[in-house]
Amino acid sequence: MYNLVMKDFKLGINPWFLAMPFLLGALMLIPGWIYLLVPQYFFWISVPNIFGQFKAQNDLMLTMTLPVSKKDKVKARVIVMVILELLHIGVAMIFGLFTIHLYPNVDYLFFAPHMGFWGVCFVMLGIFNIIFIPMFYKTAYKYGAAMIASVVATLLFSIGVQWLAIQNSFIFDTFNGTGADNTMLQLTILLVGIAIFAVFTIVSYNIAIKRFEKVDI
Amino acid sequence: MIALEVKDLNKKYPDFHLKDVSFQLEKGYIMGFIGANGAGKTTTIKSILNMIHLDSGEIHILGKNMVEHELELKQDIGVAVGGMNFYTRSKIKTLTNRIKKFYKNWDEVTYRNCLRKFKLDENKKIIELSEGMKIKYSLSLALSHGAKLLILDEPTSGLDPVARDNLLDIFQELVVDGEISILFSTHITSDLEKCADFITFIEDGQIIQSMEKEEFKESYRLLNGNESQLNQVKEKLISYKINSFGFTGLIHLKDFDPSSDMKASVPTLEEIMIFFAKREDMYV
Repeated sequence: MYNLVMKDFKLGINPWFLAMPFLLGALMLIPGWIYLLVPQYFFWISVPNIFGQFKAQNDLMLTMTLPVSKKDKVKARVIVMVILELLHIGVAMIFGLFTIHLYPNVDYLFFAPHMGFWGVCFVMLGIFNIIFIPMFYKTAYKYGAAMIASVVATLLFSIGVQWLAIQNSFIFDTFNGTGADNTMLQLTILLVGIAIFAVFTIVSYNIAIKRFEKVDI
Repeated sequence: MIALEVKDLNKKYPDFHLKDVSFQLEKGYIMGFIGANGAGKTTTIKSILNMIHLDSGEIHILGKNMVEHELELKQDIGVAVGGMNFYTRSKIKTLTNRIKKFYKNWDEVTYRNCLRKFKLDENKKIIELSEGMKIKYSLSLALSHGAKLLILDEPTSGLDPVARDNLLDIFQELVVDGEISILFSTHITSDLEKCADFITFIEDGQIIQSMEKEEFKESYRLLNGNESQLNQVKEKLISYKINSFGFTGLIHLKDFDPSSDMKASVPTLEEIMIFFAKREDMYV
């Protein structure tokens, strides 16, 4: 399985996509921006390019000849995605810390980059995974429909949650107002977000295995 | 010992049906798997590699059930399906460095020897290799992980006559020790005339025959005669072609009456394939 993960990083994925989190994470330095967009660049740019490459390079055919189980093939691919997602969000979080310290007096209309906001981002990535991964593994090479469905879902989620955070004073206060100074509250939101991300990803992995087992190559 | 046993494979697609496909390949021999395009060669090979789900049937490789021992058996199988068409923009060494990690019995010395023997430059990209070189690279990978059974889908298609002949010589060298067995599909029947020990002939998803090559050819006769002679044998012919001199047709040896004055000869593999394909057309 480790070999499959390394095969993806050394053969399938252009090193540029490992540099992307650092470039896109720097978008966090824009004061008062819609920060929910930052992790979304992962599914707008990296995912279609990476999966397009797998398809064009006939990756499925190569892995089918290798002595590895179908289950491990799915597990490795999900791990690769999670590594990239964590890289995107991790780097963005670091840039977020800079943002808070660089511009202490910015009035945030949208989410401010406190810990709770990253919890929301984790939920968004979880939603992406639970739609994209099982849909992709219906064929294990067609990624277009899975892309559209998962991107639309994450957009709707982010628009909804951002709108709610602007409209609802309680939620606004939790993320941007007095709640932002409550470390326990922020940490709890972050941990709940991570837990949702983990559960969604594990569920998507299990559905994907069942679907991939049925695929005729 | 049987290297590969295919038993009663059945797989139904909306427009194609693999029907009761069975054959055996003994260890240390080369089996040519022939059939026209779309006859079911690749589907059978994919079934052997457990890439598709069978409606029924069993595959045994080196005495073990493929479905139950897939990972273990894939360590002992060398595969070249549809040429080396993955990660074509990567260098040979990059690809090898990744692939070798999956094999327990990878032997670097054998790999280096293969590269030398086949004149493969590991700094070249896959896309820069000729079709013949791609197959040689696949063989290098297979031999370096100690594959006992080589499954090659159309390895000689797209190769020039010199490269084909060279590759066929390599196949024959490989099986000399009796350890390696080769199943290779092709529609270029002259390749099999040169190097196959056994022939399995598939037509429209069904195995027509699977036997020793000469025995296979001997079991048919190619008849030439005039139109009145055609009427005598028409019903028994597998199929026939009318030409300005009369007809040419293929018949099973058992249906042929040697006392008739028709000109009969042992057909080539190509002729057998063509007349069987023509039979399909006649009933369409």
